[in-house]
Amino acid sequence: MALDLSMPILVVDDYQTMVRIIRNLLKQLGFEEVDDASDGTAALARLKGRKYGLVISDWNMEPMTGYELLRHVRADEGLRTTPFIMVTAESKTENVIAAKKAGVNNYIVKPFNAATLKSKIEAVCGA
Amino acid sequence: MGLQRPLGATINPATMVSELIEIADYIAHVRDEIAALRANELTHDRIPMAHEELGNVLAATAGATNTIMEAAESMLALPDGPEYRAAVESGIGTIFEACAFQDITGQRIGKVVAALQQFELRLARFASAVRARDAAGQDPAEAERNERAQRLLLNGPQPNGPATAQDDIDALFA
Repeated sequence: MALDLSMPILVVDDYQTMVRIIRNLLKQLGFEEVDDASDGTAALARLKGRKYGLVISDWNMEPMTGYELLRHVRADEGLRTTPFIMVTAESKTENVIAAKKAGVNNYIVKPFNAATLKSKIEAVCGA
Repeated sequence: MGLQRPLGATINPATMVSELIEIADYIAHVRDEIAALRANELTHDRIPMAHEELGNVLAATAGATNTIMEAAESMLALPDGPEYRAAVESGIGTIFEACAFQDITGQRIGKVVAALQQFELRLARFASAVRARDAAGQDPAEAERNERAQRLLLNGPQPNGPATAQDDIDALFA
């Protein structure tokens, strides 16, 4: 299944430079519909207002972390099937396992490169 | 200072004088050690300087990142054409210039490290001189931060790179 390049993607990170990096990488991959939010609370508000094909979220944010956002998304009937990739500096195995248990679709450790991001999006969204 | 004795015990005047001299010496010693801390210099000069330098480092790295990203984004948006090469070379020149931030930030961080070393040295000397013991318990704000970090698995970046390699993570998702 080919990637749907028209699908809207939500990037959640409190560090604007990282949002910009991911946005540019996504643009290079052909994705044009990219929104962003600076923490889990802002992301949830966006998710309620638009159907996203993918969420790419950092872990460590305030007030709502990416981990909490993931649990909210998976607990919400209307959002639970939204593909979710965690992109984070949290690299301890306990983090990865917790995210997997909470229903994350894939997990990328920062720093990462374009090829890693691309391969995870393909794995999660089909290719 | 082992000066405790049972209530009502007879005090030998000579012993009492000796103990008072000991207390006075101790107080003078503590006063000297407090003076050696030069706490006013730390709080008025060194700590604000460290704050300012770190703020400058943050601003310099953010500014350089912004410049580099702008140059890269403008190169990505370049149309094909005869001026493509010149425009790319100009963008690369901008990136090289922006990378000069590291020299300046390195010097600024060096000043902060020196201030922290002074701070550490003086505190260690003071703690040793007055045989200081840490109070039991934890600062409430720190306790709350720690509880949140533990509950939400906020471990942060690990000191020597990722604790789990991407390949190992991938294996968990295979």
